[in-house]
Amino acid sequence: MSAAEAETVPPSHLRFRRPFRPTDAVRQLFHARELIRTLAERELRVRYKQAVLGLAWAFITPLALTLVFSVFIRRVATIDTGEVPYPVFAYLGLLPWTFFSTSVSVGGQSLVQNIPLLNRVYCPREVFPLASVMVAGFDMLVALVPFGALLIIYGFLPKVTSYWVPVLLVVQVVFSLAVALIVSAIVVYLRDLRHALPIILQLGLFATPVAYGLDAVPVSLQPLYVTLNPLGAVIDGYRRVVLYGLAPDWGLVLPAAVSALLMLSVGYYLFKRMETGFADVA
Amino acid sequence: MPEGGVRTEHLWKRFRADRRRMLLRDELQRVGARLRGRGGRGWRWALRDVNLTAQPGEAIGLIGSNGSGKTTLLKILSRVMYPYAGTAVAGGRVGALLEVRAGIHPDLTGRENVFVTGSLLGLRRKEVAQRFDEIVSFAELEDAIDRQVKFFSSGMQMRLGFAVAAFLEPDVLLVDEALAVGDATFQQKCLDRMRVVLRQGTTLVFVSHDFAAVEATCERGIWLRQGEVEADGPIREILGGYRQSIEEAAEADHRVEGLVHLMKAEASGANGGAPRTQESFEIRTVVESSEPRAGRIFLGISEGPAMPIFVLRRDVQLNGVETAVRCSIPRLPLPRGRYYVWAGIYDAPGRELLPWHPITHFDVVGPDLDAAPPATARLAPVHVEATWDVSNP
Repeated sequence: MSAAEAETVPPSHLRFRRPFRPTDAVRQLFHARELIRTLAERELRVRYKQAVLGLAWAFITPLALTLVFSVFIRRVATIDTGEVPYPVFAYLGLLPWTFFSTSVSVGGQSLVQNIPLLNRVYCPREVFPLASVMVAGFDMLVALVPFGALLIIYGFLPKVTSYWVPVLLVVQVVFSLAVALIVSAIVVYLRDLRHALPIILQLGLFATPVAYGLDAVPVSLQPLYVTLNPLGAVIDGYRRVVLYGLAPDWGLVLPAAVSALLMLSVGYYLFKRMETGFADVA
Repeated sequence: MPEGGVRTEHLWKRFRADRRRMLLRDELQRVGARLRGRGGRGWRWALRDVNLTAQPGEAIGLIGSNGSGKTTLLKILSRVMYPYAGTAVAGGRVGALLEVRAGIHPDLTGRENVFVTGSLLGLRRKEVAQRFDEIVSFAELEDAIDRQVKFFSSGMQMRLGFAVAAFLEPDVLLVDEALAVGDATFQQKCLDRMRVVLRQGTTLVFVSHDFAAVEATCERGIWLRQGEVEADGPIREILGGYRQSIEEAAEADHRVEGLVHLMKAEASGANGGAPRTQESFEIRTVVESSEPRAGRIFLGISEGPAMPIFVLRRDVQLNGVETAVRCSIPRLPLPRGRYYVWAGIYDAPGRELLPWHPITHFDVVGPDLDAAPPATARLAPVHVEATWDVSNP
């Protein structure tokens, strides 16, 4: 490049900055609802049609982990679950965890896997991680079936306080979506990060009260902990309302909810910012 | 911005000069290099300060050589890419055929793709359903529409992509060179469809290297050269200018290596003045050969690149030194314009003594050609003397 050419750059006041208007973004997302639905449908059909075990894959992972936890973890640590059978306790923790981990691992790669598309058709890019989160949601519904079976086997009835579940579910979805959005955008620019993803998720499984209860975290640190990891409050909440007949611990669920919402806002903002460059590196 | 309007203001776009791998390791290396003060961040400008305005219903042909920024401009208009600086707006629904591998998602079937694209364009399911049969029959995909698009041939994908873009009532239709993948019949069908869409008031931006197609479809031409607008105006003028630049570039970098050499090449009217329509015209050349040999000389006249309007040939006996070859045309059948003379010499078995290349150019003084009816391109400019007799008995 010659010196004269190097100097011809646009004046800085012309620099393109796409304004971030959440209402616009949501409206466009609404236009894309059919695409999200079709993508999720297609993904599900492929997953459950091609695999020999079909639907069973949705609960094999949580069931296997429940087995592993029941057999091994309890050998090395004592986990007090009160009158609740440990497998029920662990499986209920694995349901939201599996949802989260599927959202992040599938959603996180959803953009990279659709790279050729980023370069040739217009659509709001968040449809890809969103569709993955929907797939994870469907998986969780399927995984509820063995949970019912476990309850029957152990003759354990869910408590009436279960009506709090939807509130916790919202926090769970918001947090998972936030992480999926951020991870998917970063992976476009740093492709090798996706190889690190399984390891990070593996660590996350042990850093989250799935195999054990939230009481493993000192009470004074719990609010801070659930702010950083809202999933902790969600899992603890599920166990309280479904298994123990208690109301959710609002002192934990509230900070977790606020934190998850904040993460989603920041994550969505970051995503929309990075979105403008996706096609350039695709 | 009215529906169908297109406007860009001070549009700039750049890409990295090196196609880098998007890996953390490479990124760290780059950061390291920059910290050590060797921050060689190479950028290549794909578009530089492009300002365009199109009224709804205009048909614009976008021309320029490879890498001149045509596709980038279309991508920005269709919002697949974002500018580096400046703004670009296309009002209303934008239908685009940007690459051969059309369709929103290769894993979805043709049918799903049609509906999804429609919904992204803001059409209701029912509205898409109304046009669905038309799209399928236009794309000639009746048997394949329920197959996944990734199993389509490239021609099928292009047909689906074009049909979807052109039948979902876009306000702005962007068509890239992808059409070239289709067979001749389908290309013609696409051009016809583009004219129909234009009559309905859609704005068209058409990128193609098929000059005849562009000329027949578009009224206005925009010529991009290295990311800048070189010229903008009536399509005939713009194509003329573009052809001329191609010819000149070809003339400039034809360093011809042959067994014989051309010492002189001139074209003029017989009296040495400017060539005139339907008057006598001469091409004078001097051929140098190191040994006596028999050859066949071809002379051609072209308007665009490489495709001659007509070719003349003659067997010649070259002596060991210089041979002057003069070719006279008593009545030059060319209208006003700039033309190029091409020459090539071959021996009896067809071996190349002097490769076919442009040797000189000339400007004809004379009348313009009569204009063709709308949406019709003529193949080559030939001036034909004619007398008319119209009587009303």
